[in-house]
Amino acid sequence: MRLSSLLTSTARWGRAGFALGALALLSGCDYNFWRMDGHQSTITVAGPVARSQLEVFYVTCWVTLVIFILVGGVLAYATLKFRAKNEAEEKAVPPEQGHGNPLIELGLIGASVLALVIIAIPTLKGIWYTYDVPEDRKADTYEITATGYQWWFKFEYPSEQIAGTGALTTGNELVIPAGRPVRINIRTIDVIHSFWVPKLAGKVDMMPNRANFLWLQADEPGYFWGQCAEYCGDSHAVMRFRVIALSPKDFADWVAQQTSPARNVTPKPGEETPKAQFASLRTFKQNETGITDKYEIAPLEAWKAKQFPEKGENAALIAQGKALFASKTCASCHEVRGHGAAGISGPNLTHIGARSMLAAGLIENNAEQLRRWIRDPGSVKPGNKMAKGYLDNNIKLTNEEEVALVAYLQSLK
Amino acid sequence: MSSHAGTIDHHHDPSTSTGIPNKKLLMWTFLASDCMFFGALISTHLIYRLHPMPDAPSPKNIFSLELTSFSTFILLMSSLMMALAVTAIQKGNIKSMRWSILTTIFFGSIFLGCQVYEFQEFVEIKKMTITNSMLGTTFFTLTGTHGTHVAIGVLWLILMYVRSFQPPEAGRNAAWFIRHAVHILVIIGAILLAIFSTLALVHTLHTGGSVGAFFGGHFAMLAGLLACIAAGIFLARPTGPVNFGEANAIDVESMGLYWHFVDIVWIVIFTAVYLLEYL
Amino acid sequence: MEAILKSDLHAKDTHAPAKSAIFWRPTAQTGLISWLTTVDHKKIGFLYGVFALFFFLVGGFEALLIRLQLMYPNGTVLTAQQYNTMFTMHGTTMIFLAVMPLSAAFFNFIMPLQIGARDVAFPRLNAFSLWTFVAGAIVINLGWFMHDGAPDGGWVGYAPLTSKTFAPDHSIDMWVMGLQLLGVASIAASLNFIVTIINLRAPGMTMMRLPVFTWMTLITAFLIVLSFPFITIALVELMMDRLFGTSFFEVSNGGMPILWQHLFWVFGHPEVYILILPAMGIVSEILPTFSRKPLFGYPIVVFSGASIGFLGFSVWSHHMFTTGMGTMATAAFSLATMAIAVPTGVKIFNWIGTLWGGHISMRTPMMFALGFVWMFMIGGFSGVMHSAAPADAQQQDSYFVIAHFHYVLIGGSLFALLAGIHYWFPLMFGRKVSEFWGKLSFWVIFAGFNITFFPMHFLGLNGMPRRTFTYDANLGWNAANYIATIGALILGVGIFIYFAVMVYTFLKGEKVGKDVWDARTLEWSLPNPPPEYNYRVIPTVHARDAYWYNKQHKEEIAQEEAEHAKAEAAHGGIHMPHQSIYPFVASLGLFIASIGIAVIDHDPSPGFWGKKIGLSMIGGVVMLAGIYFWALEGNEGYHLHPDDEGHAPADKKAAQH
Repeated sequence: MRLSSLLTSTARWGRAGFALGALALLSGCDYNFWRMDGHQSTITVAGPVARSQLEVFYVTCWVTLVIFILVGGVLAYATLKFRAKNEAEEKAVPPEQGHGNPLIELGLIGASVLALVIIAIPTLKGIWYTYDVPEDRKADTYEITATGYQWWFKFEYPSEQIAGTGALTTGNELVIPAGRPVRINIRTIDVIHSFWVPKLAGKVDMMPNRANFLWLQADEPGYFWGQCAEYCGDSHAVMRFRVIALSPKDFADWVAQQTSPARNVTPKPGEETPKAQFASLRTFKQNETGITDKYEIAPLEAWKAKQFPEKGENAALIAQGKALFASKTCASCHEVRGHGAAGISGPNLTHIGARSMLAAGLIENNAEQLRRWIRDPGSVKPGNKMAKGYLDNNIKLTNEEEVALVAYLQSLK
Repeated sequence: MSSHAGTIDHHHDPSTSTGIPNKKLLMWTFLASDCMFFGALISTHLIYRLHPMPDAPSPKNIFSLELTSFSTFILLMSSLMMALAVTAIQKGNIKSMRWSILTTIFFGSIFLGCQVYEFQEFVEIKKMTITNSMLGTTFFTLTGTHGTHVAIGVLWLILMYVRSFQPPEAGRNAAWFIRHAVHILVIIGAILLAIFSTLALVHTLHTGGSVGAFFGGHFAMLAGLLACIAAGIFLARPTGPVNFGEANAIDVESMGLYWHFVDIVWIVIFTAVYLLEYL
Repeated sequence: MEAILKSDLHAKDTHAPAKSAIFWRPTAQTGLISWLTTVDHKKIGFLYGVFALFFFLVGGFEALLIRLQLMYPNGTVLTAQQYNTMFTMHGTTMIFLAVMPLSAAFFNFIMPLQIGARDVAFPRLNAFSLWTFVAGAIVINLGWFMHDGAPDGGWVGYAPLTSKTFAPDHSIDMWVMGLQLLGVASIAASLNFIVTIINLRAPGMTMMRLPVFTWMTLITAFLIVLSFPFITIALVELMMDRLFGTSFFEVSNGGMPILWQHLFWVFGHPEVYILILPAMGIVSEILPTFSRKPLFGYPIVVFSGASIGFLGFSVWSHHMFTTGMGTMATAAFSLATMAIAVPTGVKIFNWIGTLWGGHISMRTPMMFALGFVWMFMIGGFSGVMHSAAPADAQQQDSYFVIAHFHYVLIGGSLFALLAGIHYWFPLMFGRKVSEFWGKLSFWVIFAGFNITFFPMHFLGLNGMPRRTFTYDANLGWNAANYIATIGALILGVGIFIYFAVMVYTFLKGEKVGKDVWDARTLEWSLPNPPPEYNYRVIPTVHARDAYWYNKQHKEEIAQEEAEHAKAEAAHGGIHMPHQSIYPFVASLGLFIASIGIAVIDHDPSPGFWGKKIGLSMIGGVVMLAGIYFWALEGNEGYHLHPDDEGHAPADKKAAQH
C-alpha cells in the first residue's frame, strides 16, 4: 500500500538522519553522557554511603531490566504475531472472545511480588545502613554542622572551638578528614535546602524546625562537587559547594591554620611597593563560566596551592582593601576574625583566600573572578543579599577600590 | 401526585440504578470529602499541639469548658430537631416541618452566638489571637472553619424554610420573588440582631450595667429585632397552595445529612480540641 | 394519544410553563450564549477539551523555553527568575490545566454515553465545574499580565519559600486562589461523576459490566473527592499565613514546613493516579477494540485499578524520603510503594493478554495506545527504582525523577489521551483523521519524546538537580542536555502536526458513519455526532461489551428497543433539562472573589475597599446571587419526542418557543 510504504521509507530515512545527527553531535563533545562519570556522578562513587546507595540502584536496575526484556519481548512478539497484515484480515471473523485466565494472572502477580522481594531486601538493609554511622565506627566519627542559607552553605566544626568566638566556621567548602565517618547535622536558616554530594552520599533536606543529619565518608583524599538539591528560590541553581577530603595530617594542619585569626600582611622593611595595575575589568556574559581547567586536571592540588600566600602581594594595597572592607559596610555581614569584622549574615571570610571557589562553589577564587563578584554580585548570582546590600547602602566601587578589596581578600589565607 | 401522604417510598428511588436518590448520594460523597477536609485541619491542630513553643499559652487557662459544653449540647439538640423535620416532611406534614426547622435554626444560631462570644473573650480577655500563638492559629482556623459550616447550614435551613412557602409555578411572579427574598433577609436580620443584642446584654451585665441601661443603650437594635420577627411572622401566614411537600423530603433529608455531619464534626472537635486538654 | 404526541413534536411538558416570569431561560443552540448556558455533558466535555488543549499548548511552549535555556551550559535565553517562573507554570499548567481537564473532557463526553445515560446526574453542577475550572485557570495565569509576575514557587509550592517572608508579592496569592478554584471545580465535577456512574446506569449495566474507562472514571473521581481536601487545607493554611499572619508555616513561631509537604503529598500522590487512571481506562478501551477481543481479565483490571487508588493514599511520603523521616517510616513507605507496582504491573500483563490471539489492526489510536504501554512500562520501572529509598536518596530532585515522571505523564497519560482523541473523534464529530498523518504525528511525537527524556535518566544519575536555570560545562551534562533540547523541538513539531491534522480533520476531514472502528462499548451504538438526548431509547445491557453483544444479537435487540420506545413515549418522551446561565454566574462570582482575595494588601494600614476586601465581597455577592437563582429556578425541563430514526429535526425550534 502506498501509505505504508511511504511510512516505512520515512521511518528508514528518519533513523538514518538521527544516527547521522547523533554522530555529528557527539564527535564535537567532550563527554559520552552514558558513561556518567562527571563530578557529580552517582555512579563513580567515592565513599561507602554512596556505594551502598549505588548497589541498591543496581539491584533495582537489573531486576527491572530483566522484567522489561521479558515483558517487552512478549509485548513485541504479540504485537507482531497477531497483527492484521491487510484489510481482509482486519475484517475477518473476530477471534475467540476469551475473557482471561485466572491462573496466568495469579502466577504473574506471584512473580511480580517475588521480583519486588529481591529489591526489598537490599533496600531495607540500605535504609538502615545509610541512615546513621554504624555502631562500631561511632567512636571514630567526626561531627560537623552544615547550615543552608539563600544561597550558600555555612559549615561549623563543633569540635574545633576557638577561644572567644566559638566553633570554627567556614563557608561553601567543607573540609573533612578522609577515611573517617563524618556525621553532618543538617540545618537551615531560611527556606528548605538540600545537602547533596553525589559521590559521597545521597541528599538529605535542610528543613526548618527539624534536626536532620546524614553521614558520609570519603575513602581517599579528594575534591568533590556538591549542590543544593531542593528548589530554594532565584539562585537555587548556583547554590553549590565543595567537599575536600584530606589525609589525617593534612586535615590537622588545615584545622590549625583555620583556627588561627585572619592573616595580616605588613610591608617588609625596605621592600619596594610594587605599582598596582588598575585595568578595568572586562564584561562578563550572563551566566558565564568562571572556572578554569585547573580544577579539572588536579583539583585537590589546585586547592592545596590556594593554602599558600599569593605571589607578589602588595602590602599597601592590602591595607587599603582592609580599610575599605570596613568602610564599605562589608564587615556588617561578613566576619574576618582578628580584623574587627564580625557580621554573621554572610559567609565567614576569615580564610577566604584559601578557598578554591567563590559565591558558593560557582566561580573560581582568582583575582579576575573575585573582582567580577564584588563588582556586581547580582549578575553572578541573581537575587542574592549582597547585591541587595549594595543597593540599600548605595555602594559603588571604583576600579581602584575593587582591586584593593581583591588584594585584601586574596591575602586572607 | 405528591399531596397524598405516604405514597412515596423514602428509602427507594426507582428512577436510579441503586434506588438511592441522586441528591442523597451526592451529599454522602460530599460529606466523605468534607471528612478529609476536617481531618486535615484537626490533624494540623493535633500535630502542633504536640510541638508547643516554650512560651505557648496553656489551653486550660483559656478554654471555658462550661460554655462550650452548653453550646455542644445545644448543637446536639438542633440535630434532634433536624431529624424531626425530616420525619415530618416525609409524612407530608409541612407545618410540623417548619416548626422543627425554625427550632433548628434557633439552636444553630445559639451555637454561633456562643462561638462569637467565645472568640471575643479569647481575643480580648485571654489575649489569644490568631497571630500571637500557634494555639491561636490552629484553634481559630479549625473552629472558625467549623463555625462557617454551621453558618452555611443555618443559611441553608433558612432558604429551605422560606422555600416551603413557594407557590406553584404559575404563581411565581415578580411579587413572589421579592417577597421570597425579603422573607430570607428578614430571618437573617432577626438572627444577627438577636445574637448581637444578646451579646450586648451579656456585656452590659459583665461590666456592671443594669438591664435597664441595656435597653436604653440598644433601643434601635431591639426595635429592629422586633420588627424582623414581626415581619417574619407576617410573611409566614398562609397564602394559598404551596409547591412543597412530601416529594421534597429528599431535599430536607440531604440538608439534614449535612447538618448532622457538621454536628458530628463538632463532637470530634470538642473532644480533640477541648476535652483532650483536661485529660 | 401516541399519534397526537408524535404529531406535536414541539409540545412541552404540561407541567413546565412556556417561560418563566423571573428566570432567564436561554434557548440558543449556537453562539456564545449557547456555550455559556449549556448543560449538555457533550458540549461541556468539548469545552473542557478545548480549554485543556489550549493550556496544553501554553504549557508546551513554557517547556520549550525551559529546554532552550538548558540547551547549552550557561544558557542565556531566560533569566533565573524567568526560568523559575517557567518551570512553576509548566508544572502547574500541565497537571491542573491540561491533563486533568483533558481527562475531564472524556469523563464528560464519553462516560454518560458508555453507561447508557442521557446526561450526568446534575447537569447544572457540571456546567458550574467547567466554568470554575476556567476561572481557576485564568487566575493562575493572571500573573503573566501583572506587575508581580507569574508564580515561581515550584508546582509543589513548598513552604516557607511560598510564605510572605520569601515571596512577598501577589503571584503566589494568585497561584493559591487559582488552585483553590480548581479544587472546587474538580470536587464538584467528581461528585457529579460518582453519582452518575452509580445511579444513572442503563438497565442491565451492572457494576461488573461497566466499561473499564467508566470504572477508571469512578475511581479517579473518588480519588479527587478524597485527596483534594488535603491540598485545599494546605492552601487555606498558606493563605491564612499570608493574609492574616497566622503561623502554620511560620518557622519563628513554631510552624513546621514539613507539614506542608505531608498535606501536599497526601493530595499529590493520589493526584498522580488521578492523572494516570483515566489514561489506563482509555487504553483498556482501545486495545480490545483494535484486537477485536474482550479485555483480558476484566475483573482483575478493575480490581487492580481500585487497589491502585486505595494504595495511592498510603505512599505519599515516598516523595519525602530525603526529609529525614527516620528508618521505620522510610522503610514502610518504601515497601508500600513497591506494593503498588503489583497492581500496576497486572494491568500491563492484561493489556498484553488482550493483544494475544487478537486480530490487531494498527490504526492511529492503537499506535498511541501501544506507545502508551511501552512508555508507561519504562516510567513504571524507573518508579520501582525510586521506591528503593537508598537509591532514591541519589535520584530525588534530580533529572532522573524528571525523566521518570515525564515517562509516566507524557508517555503514559498524554499518549493515552492523544489516543483517546483519535479514537473518539469519529464519534464526537463524525470525521476521522487520515491514517497517514495520524501515524506520522505518532512517530514524530514518539521519537521526539524519547530523545527528550531518555537522556535525562543519565543526567540525573550524573548528578544534575532539577529546577536549575543553569549549569556549568564541566559536569558532563552538555551532550545529554543538547540532545534533550533537540528532542523537545522534535516533540514540538510532532505536537504541531498532531494539532494541525486535528483542526484540519475537524473542518474538512473524511466523514465516516456510525461505529467506524467496529467497537465494543455502548457509545458506538449512537449516530455521530450524538444527538443532544444521546439515546432515543435507553438501552438495555445484556453483556459486558454491551454493543458488541448487540451487534451479535441484532434482531432481539431491535425488538426490545421498539418495545421500550413505545413505553417511553407513553411516559411523556425524553426529559431535557433547561439551559441555565446561573452556574456561570456563580463561577464568575468565585472568579471575582478569588482575585479579590489574592490582591488583598498585606500591609496593615487602614482602608477597607479597593485592594482590601471590597472586590472579594462583590465577588461573593455575585456568587451568592448565582447560587440563589440557580436554586430558585428549579430543575424543570422540557420534553422531546424524536421520531423512529432518532431524528428530532424540530426539537431545536421547540426549545425556542
